[in-house]
Amino acid sequence: MSESKFETVSSCVDNYQQNDAAFDDNFDEICKDSHLSDTWERYHLMGDIIRNDVPASLQFDLSAQIAAAIDSEPTILAPKVAAIKSNSFVKELRGRVVQFAKPFGQIAIAASAAGIMVLSVQQTNVAKNDTNVPQQIIQTNPFGGSAEPVSFNYQQADRKSQKQAYIQQQRRFQALLSDHHQQIKLNATSIDNENNVLPEKGEKPE
Amino acid sequence: MRTLIVLLLLSATTSAIATENEQAASWLKKLSLSLKQLNFSTSFVVVKNNQAEPYHWFHGINENGKELEIISLLNGPRRDVLRKGGVVSYIEPELPPYSISTQQIMGPIPAIFRGDMSLISASYDFISVGRSRVLGRPAQLIRIVSKDQHRFGYWLWLDQESSLLLKFALITRTGQLLEQVQFTHLEITKNASENLQQLETAELPKISEVSKSFQENDMAWQVDWLPNGFKKIKANRHRISSTKQPVEFMLFSDGLVNVSVYINKSIDKERAVEYVMDGATVVLNQVKKGFEVSVVGKIPSKTAKAIADSIILLPPTIKND
Repeated sequence: MSESKFETVSSCVDNYQQNDAAFDDNFDEICKDSHLSDTWERYHLMGDIIRNDVPASLQFDLSAQIAAAIDSEPTILAPKVAAIKSNSFVKELRGRVVQFAKPFGQIAIAASAAGIMVLSVQQTNVAKNDTNVPQQIIQTNPFGGSAEPVSFNYQQADRKSQKQAYIQQQRRFQALLSDHHQQIKLNATSIDNENNVLPEKGEKPE
Repeated sequence: MRTLIVLLLLSATTSAIATENEQAASWLKKLSLSLKQLNFSTSFVVVKNNQAEPYHWFHGINENGKELEIISLLNGPRRDVLRKGGVVSYIEPELPPYSISTQQIMGPIPAIFRGDMSLISASYDFISVGRSRVLGRPAQLIRIVSKDQHRFGYWLWLDQESSLLLKFALITRTGQLLEQVQFTHLEITKNASENLQQLETAELPKISEVSKSFQENDMAWQVDWLPNGFKKIKANRHRISSTKQPVEFMLFSDGLVNVSVYINKSIDKERAVEYVMDGATVVLNQVKKGFEVSVVGKIPSKTAKAIADSIILLPPTIKND
């Protein structure tokens, strides 16, 4: 047993830890046993010497000094956890309440999930009704900007017409863009008919 | 003595610039040859407005030396461009499939890249900038820089080995990135890929003839100002397909960039200028004296505004139908 304790100390010094119950037990015992604590200290000292890492002045009693310093500090009087008995009763009660309330909580979660689904389905339906609004593929930039109406009564009616004007504008732009591409495609003919050379027609003033 | 040194330095730098330009021009020549002659299958992503559109692009030559090409958009409704030699077919959701007799695909890749870039050297400088790594390959960066401030520039990253595109971007004169096309995969093969062999046997839609009467030239207005190098490609009257709005239309091009100008009578008397940017493409619209003017193209909004403002209505023969 003590052999295995020494082994544990050694492996701890080497920063090598095993995760088993025997190791944990040994570790607890080492902490309590003053002899083993000395061993711990000694092992570290040996390691330091082997590594040629010994400080200029050796302080063997550093931990003891720290312990003494902690002892001499004023004690903080924290209220002790009293009335463990009553506490345990509350705990038990709480456990029962939780047990009792759990199914309700689950139902609540399910209900809210259903609610969200209903909402989102409704929203997607609303979005579907809006499909005749052309998608905004391109960002409009007004040249110079335009004056905005300031009055409060004004806005309601104006916003509607503004939105419509905006939709109109987007449609116009899209139509022009696709017609431009179409015309370029059709035009390939006239370029090729002239032996792949750009026609030198020039601007014909009328 | 000092002046001599300065002169020497100056001539050295100018000659260095000259060789850089020559290098760039030869890179672009190699690019156009590669785009015409190599069998390649590649994927790329067009990035603009915080959106990415992925495409597949196949190109190949069959045994008879005929070029076959497929460009298809991979997200959303099908948008395919198929080419068999001199016939290009567009398959799009808006219209029934149609074919045009041409060698140029008007898609995300500017058609001039496979054409003769020296045609646009009057309006653009070509500069070979340096090397970098794109798509895991050593790449050569070539800048196509506008000679004036009325246009955007193109930056091209070309594969050092095959001179094919690895990336290109539209960039303003102040260096702001507007649109970029990043290739995500490139495979050069000895033979045309299987998709292209399938295309060879597939039947393309009938060629739609653009009737000559459709291409009218007598417009009651003219555009008075355009950046140097822009030429009128065509003019017509047509209805905009989605709104059925009848418009008078002119298309201008400087070889790299196309600009459309639309005019129609408006119910509004005046409307302030509005514009949107779709990546590098500006759509500008204004109503003046009862006429709606729109300008669309990959040009700065200031240029579009100047073009719109320069339109002159010819008083004696204002026709509106």
